[in-house]
Amino acid sequence: MIDRVKEKINELLSEGSVKGVVALVTANGHVAPCLFQKGDDLDTLCLGDTEKSGDARYPLNRVLCTIARQYPDDVFGVLVRGCDERGLYGLYRLNQLEPDKVVPIGIPCPESLAQACECKKPYPDDIVAGEKFEGISQQGVEDMDNKDLSTRFSFWMDQFSKCVKCYGCRNICPMCFCRECSLECEDLVSKGDLPVDIPVFHLTRAMHMADRCIDCGLCEEACPSDIPLRLLYKKTAEIMNTEFGFTSGINKNEKSPLSLMGPAPEK
Amino acid sequence: MAGLAAAFGSGAMTNAVSELELSDTIFIIGSNTATSHPLVATRIFRAIENGGKVIVADPRKNQIADFAELYIQHNLGTDVALLNGMMRVILDKNLQDDTFIAENTEAFQAFKDALDDFSVEEASQITGVSVADIETLATLYAEAGSASIVYCMGITQHTTGVDNVKSLANLAMLTGNIGKLGSGVNPLRGQNNVQGACDMGALPNVYTGYQPVTLGPANKKFAQAWGVDELPSNIGLTLPEMLSGIEKDEVKALWIMGENPVVSDPDANHVVKALEKVELLIVQDIFLTPTAKLADVVLPGTSFAEKDGTFANTERRVTRVRKAVDPVGDSKPDWEIIQDISNRFGFEMTYTSPQEIFDEIASLTPSYAGISYDRLEGPGLQWPCPTKEHPGTPFLHKDGKFTRGKGLFHAIGHKPPNEVVDDEYPFWMTTGRVYAHYHTGTMTRNSESLDFEVREGFLEMNPADAKTLDVCDGSQVKMASRRGEILTKIMITERVSPGLVFMPFHFEEANVNKLTNPAFDPIAKIPEFKVCAVKLEKA
Ligand code: SF4
Ligand code: SF4
Ligand code: SF4
Repeated sequence: MIDRVKEKINELLSEGSVKGVVALVTANGHVAPCLFQKGDDLDTLCLGDTEKSGDARYPLNRVLCTIARQYPDDVFGVLVRGCDERGLYGLYRLNQLEPDKVVPIGIPCPESLAQACECKKPYPDDIVAGEKFEGISQQGVEDMDNKDLSTRFSFWMDQFSKCVKCYGCRNICPMCFCRECSLECEDLVSKGDLPVDIPVFHLTRAMHMADRCIDCGLCEEACPSDIPLRLLYKKTAEIMNTEFGFTSGINKNEKSPLSLMGPAPEK
Repeated sequence: MAGLAAAFGSGAMTNAVSELELSDTIFIIGSNTATSHPLVATRIFRAIENGGKVIVADPRKNQIADFAELYIQHNLGTDVALLNGMMRVILDKNLQDDTFIAENTEAFQAFKDALDDFSVEEASQITGVSVADIETLATLYAEAGSASIVYCMGITQHTTGVDNVKSLANLAMLTGNIGKLGSGVNPLRGQNNVQGACDMGALPNVYTGYQPVTLGPANKKFAQAWGVDELPSNIGLTLPEMLSGIEKDEVKALWIMGENPVVSDPDANHVVKALEKVELLIVQDIFLTPTAKLADVVLPGTSFAEKDGTFANTERRVTRVRKAVDPVGDSKPDWEIIQDISNRFGFEMTYTSPQEIFDEIASLTPSYAGISYDRLEGPGLQWPCPTKEHPGTPFLHKDGKFTRGKGLFHAIGHKPPNEVVDDEYPFWMTTGRVYAHYHTGTMTRNSESLDFEVREGFLEMNPADAKTLDVCDGSQVKMASRRGEILTKIMITERVSPGLVFMPFHFEEANVNKLTNPAFDPIAKIPEFKVCAVKLEKA
């Protein structure tokens, strides 16, 4: 798969259809995001496999947004998995990226990763290479739903109490880009002390991500306190889906029900 | 560090941080782990999820205490009494590991005899912790399959700091909880590279890898390597000794690198006086700190992002740091500054890179001998790593084989803090950190986002005391000790018990270290930051 990916990137770079490609590199024994440009050695390019396939992931779209803001007229390629592609669709909708300035290079995820993510769509629409696996049902959400209210409540309060307010969940999120973050709004979340205001801090973020989160799970991976943030956002996404028939990033030309006035759209 | 080195032969964390996940019981004492070492806290939270138990002892309630099986709030400066009480219980209930003690330790009898006339009731009376709680603490620790101790400055920053650490070592040896996966004694180090600085001999008495400067093979070896006939064999000065040396006109010049003693040292007014008095003060730092403002010469150093080299973290792991941007302005990496000055003094240094220096370190330091830059790609290596083939050492003292040979018990009795409350200064005061800031704030207070979180200092006070003083949350109070006074805002919280106040020391405007007591531990020379007596009044 990786050879085909490199071939594709080489093609794009040498024909000059993109200015650069945001992908991953192995350097000094670590995996890191990297902008590959014409003439760069693609030997060190990697797909983020360290111990397991795809276990070193980064918010490449976030890197892309930063670059695109600096070079608004240029076209860039970006390595995408299913969630990253959902992210691109969301970022187009939210005017953070322009579709005609982005060339996605899609790879599907192996079954093991799809299982670990409980991913609804572990592959992008456009695949450069590799075999795709079907989506996985949301067992984690269902298991949690099956617990009684007081168990759920104390579970979440215990989890939130571990928060050290590092903002890692926000800082890694490919869909977080607001200039003024509601987590830093003192009318919502008080500052200056730990534990943070719970559950306000975490619910504020969950609400703010309701029509944006594309379920990549990077926030949960980044959380130093191992708070199961992804499960919380999966539940939020499920509510969005039941109430409005909306799933963030699933369709290229989606509209968010939260930015429409009027009755709920047909499901 | 001195305490652990005396008991085990090595002063570092005995386990890898990740091993804490595997501990059945983790005893946290004098460490605000979630705030000060969040990634260590991660492992502790995982241990809890794996079914492990956490027990916490701290005079001030911290975040991780909420997750504890048992949290106890002992009186300030009574750690030895608490630990001796626990060990009394362990001996009374016959929970000690006799085989481990017999095979791997020495001086047990003297330790045991000294405990003979100390009762749990006495421990309870000194610490303010109930007998039942001391018993539970002791049993939870002693009966665990694998138990780990985690401690930090709450243990060491006392006039009895070394005694406190030795008592923790006693506790671990008594129950055989040392030298096993997920089981040991773990001091958490603050700075990313404070372990590395100590490893490199940035201490008055040792070369790299804790090889003594006094006459002996190490001294000879270094003299030979550096091409000189002999090296000084006298032990240098500790920080408090330097300051008193200035007063006595014995120290004429001081070169401070990356430290901010005007804010970080006890009795700050006194520190300022000494620094003003010294004939030549050179400060090397990345920002113009309050200390640098007093300097005759400021040498601009570089931040982590501007230099190559290695860091050794709290779990003895040596990792690479790589330059991401060129040094800003006239700044230079520290090694270049030192080399330039050495050359001007006439001792030629011709290193061309940090790698070359590292190779010299490895050639002169047995515990680093097997480490080289090419082996540091990826996650790095934990010393001791004596040979090129050695995989590094996740936990020390395996199978009871202590670095010093046998583990040494120390007979230790409770001593009160250097300063205790009285009618004039009726409140106990202790210091510590907040989540958004690090140390004197030289770096963190220059960060917009961290400054946003916590902009100014505050004093934590129990509601009962606030009521007596007739102050409310956010009021100003005047706080004074025998050494100075400051004005500060208060925060009312149950985290501190009545009669005890707490203040973070990151803030030079309300510098709590004007009040702290410079009395220090006789061996480690660490000042008693954690205990002093103060008086408070409404401002
Ligand atoms: S969420 Fe996980 S499985 Fe799904 S596309 Fe992303 S990485 Fe792959
Ligand atoms: S899973 Fe987390 S990191 Fe990913 S989009 Fe959702 S909130 Fe952001
Ligand atoms: S990453 Fe985790 S600990 Fe950090 S702010 Fe988010 S929830 Fe809290």
